[in-house]
Amino acid sequence: MGRWLLRRLAAAALIVWLVATATFFLVALAPGDITQRLADTRVSPQVREQWRRAFGLDRPLVTRYAEWIGGAVRGDLSTSWTTYRPVAAMIGEALPNTVLLTAAGLLLELLGGVAIALRQARRPFGVGDRLLTFATLLAFAMPTFWVALLLADVFAFRLPLFPPSHMHSPAGELAVGWRRLADLAHHSVLPVLAIGITGVGAIARYVRGSLLDERGQGYVLAARARGCSARRTLRVHALPNALLPLITVLGLSLPFLVSGSLVIEVVFSWPGMGQLVYSAALARDLPTLMGGTVVITVAVVLGNLVADVAYAMVDPRVRLGGAA
Amino acid sequence: MVRPLPNLLALITLALGALSCGDEKAGIPAPSGLGPRQGGQVVVAIGADLATFNEYQWAPEAAEFEVLDLLFPTLMVEHPDFALRPPSFGERLATSWEFSSDNRHLTFHLRPGARWSDGVPVTAEDVRFTYSVQKDPDLGAIGLEFKDFITAVEVIDPLTVRFTFSHVYPYQLMDANDGHIVPAHVWSAVPRADWRTTDFSKMLVTCGPYRLAAHTRSQTIVLERDPAFWGHPRPYIDRLVFRVIPEVSSQVNQLLAGHVDVVRAVPPRDADRVRARDDLELIEFPSRDWGYLAWNNAVPPFNDRRVRRAMSMAINRKAAVDSVFLGHARLAHGPILSSMWAFNRNLPAMPHDPEAARVALAEVGWRDTDGDGTLERDGKRLEFEILFPAANTFRRDLAQLISADLARVGVRARPVPIEANAFLARQERGEFTAMLAAWTEATRIELSSIWTTRSETLGSYNFISYSNPEVDRLIAAARLDADHSRAQVLLDRIQELIVLDQPVTFLYERNDLVGLSRRIRGADINAAGLFFNVQEWYWEP
Repeated sequence: MGRWLLRRLAAAALIVWLVATATFFLVALAPGDITQRLADTRVSPQVREQWRRAFGLDRPLVTRYAEWIGGAVRGDLSTSWTTYRPVAAMIGEALPNTVLLTAAGLLLELLGGVAIALRQARRPFGVGDRLLTFATLLAFAMPTFWVALLLADVFAFRLPLFPPSHMHSPAGELAVGWRRLADLAHHSVLPVLAIGITGVGAIARYVRGSLLDERGQGYVLAARARGCSARRTLRVHALPNALLPLITVLGLSLPFLVSGSLVIEVVFSWPGMGQLVYSAALARDLPTLMGGTVVITVAVVLGNLVADVAYAMVDPRVRLGGAA
Repeated sequence: MVRPLPNLLALITLALGALSCGDEKAGIPAPSGLGPRQGGQVVVAIGADLATFNEYQWAPEAAEFEVLDLLFPTLMVEHPDFALRPPSFGERLATSWEFSSDNRHLTFHLRPGARWSDGVPVTAEDVRFTYSVQKDPDLGAIGLEFKDFITAVEVIDPLTVRFTFSHVYPYQLMDANDGHIVPAHVWSAVPRADWRTTDFSKMLVTCGPYRLAAHTRSQTIVLERDPAFWGHPRPYIDRLVFRVIPEVSSQVNQLLAGHVDVVRAVPPRDADRVRARDDLELIEFPSRDWGYLAWNNAVPPFNDRRVRRAMSMAINRKAAVDSVFLGHARLAHGPILSSMWAFNRNLPAMPHDPEAARVALAEVGWRDTDGDGTLERDGKRLEFEILFPAANTFRRDLAQLISADLARVGVRARPVPIEANAFLARQERGEFTAMLAAWTEATRIELSSIWTTRSETLGSYNFISYSNPEVDRLIAAARLDADHSRAQVLLDRIQELIVLDQPVTFLYERNDLVGLSRRIRGADINAAGLFFNVQEWYWEP
């Protein structure tokens, strides 16, 4: 497995490099550059030329690429063209905010999804199952931005139970300790719910499907024959096996954990990776955009790798490296 | 000769105006015996965080500039009297100023007792240092061109500083005043070569009615009253809290819910929701943004002014502007905003006259010879694309309405959305036939960059390739004339000529819509900026 892991890591590095390179050239070749917005107020052409020189936009593309990739390999993601701060520091601020939101959201959709699926699998194709199928499909089909706006409208504006945006209230911003934490928790409720609601449908559908598959298996019948209750059979015997395919689903969710949901972040004014990368793309802030892209690409590649390894660990039938 | 500036009469008029507007706007008379009271915080929604606290690192957006203006001083305060005359100025960091007899030297006397937030006095050296930053060719600060005719700034003594100009021109005071004064004693320690990679928030020393209390990136900026502020009057409001809310609709929702007290730019579609509320006020005034349909004057058929004029007559501009901006924009008539002193009030308006447009097009050979509803000439159909930035819903709607109007006279104009950066790039390269574009104007009359014939030094933003030698000559003359009633004659003629040429179809001048809580009293919000008189704001007792 050691050699297999090494090979996969090398492939992962290659993929990250390819994506970074492609992004660099695509963005550099896209029309317009960071100095474009200066045109709005009609600054003199000399000033714009000076800005281009300052950002190195007057130098050949290949030179700029070599410089960037050289820095990136050494771990230097360079300085943002809009805030003049190290890109790494900006990602360092945005990433925890995103992970906090997405991890809580993912946990909610996972627990909710499994609970719904268990309820459905107890009496498949009964009234309860059909109603829940309808509900989960509906949740799955609802666009995230709509759910987010609806939640804000109902629970922040009509019934002012939760704050409509931001990580902290102005008072919470100045507070410290547990007050600050409580303020943060209060502010997280709606965005986490928005992620949970739109994700719970998919998980529930997945787990329900594989639970039904497991129900027909011999070991389930055997458990029932030994006198195990239907409920216990489902939870103790069928569920662990039914959850196996979920590892892949979760592995594929890892990038989301890091990239965040732009829609949720915009609706709830949450300063995460989605907003960071999106605003960098709009402003043509190349260093920030590249830094964000690299971090998200690494998450995608690692997510896949972790899913594969985890699969092998929980399912003894799977052998990595084709040595079986 | 000492220039009679600030104009005393103007100041008195302004002061009276401000007083009366203030009362009117407040709506409810103040309870007798209860004056302004100290305290409280005002929450202001902003669309984006401050990118940097050093405006000479980058080009701040208008909203960012308003925050910086609370933290750093200018020499003078520009009065919002540009509807009547070129802007006049009042005291700020400088308490008085005078021109030399030949008007080429301008001396400012700084306020004794003005201090930075670290207690160090503000001196003439700060002014000189700021000028050296503004003028540094390697930094390329955005106001660089405003310092073009300032050849030297000298420290006479700690409270006296003298500007020298290369020649006499109308905007000497405005150019000297452009840009905020920054702290020499702290920021001069950063080598100029490192300015682009320095985080100035870590060495923030300010000098304004407010100072920075807390800043969470992309979330909240908290400013607090600076007790050491030297200016007068001192603010009543203790804290100004800026909340970053990227979505304008969310900003309005939070205003309606009471989470924020001020929204800078209420979208026209939300104006009625704000106005319908008793506890909120909607303040509307002309902004400095205007939009137009640009014709590429270099390529047929729009290199012929008869065709351009026919297009302008075929479009029902008033109806389009009214329906797209829901009444919160005015019809634009010419190259100078109708809210400016120099606007020619006798400008002949382009009529909406589709029949005349059809006749005019027929005269230059565009006729529907094959009866398919589209005009042709020499076998070519009169069809083209109208480009607009994809995310801009106003321009998208305008493009649709204009396209429908043009179709009625047999012109096929197809609206084409383009990503914003690509749109600007094509505009700059002149790669368009027609496009819906817009400009933001300063409070000075600046016509040369967009209306003079393009050359090495002039017309750098004349993307439409407009060229009229008479207009070039008049613009050059008007730029130099410091006597504004004489300049007015030239400017009137320039406006007439440009309207006759219709190098663009003038469409709209937007209004700014500010929503704020009625419980905030004393606010005089106008085109001079949201916080023009922030020191006088207070919460209703």
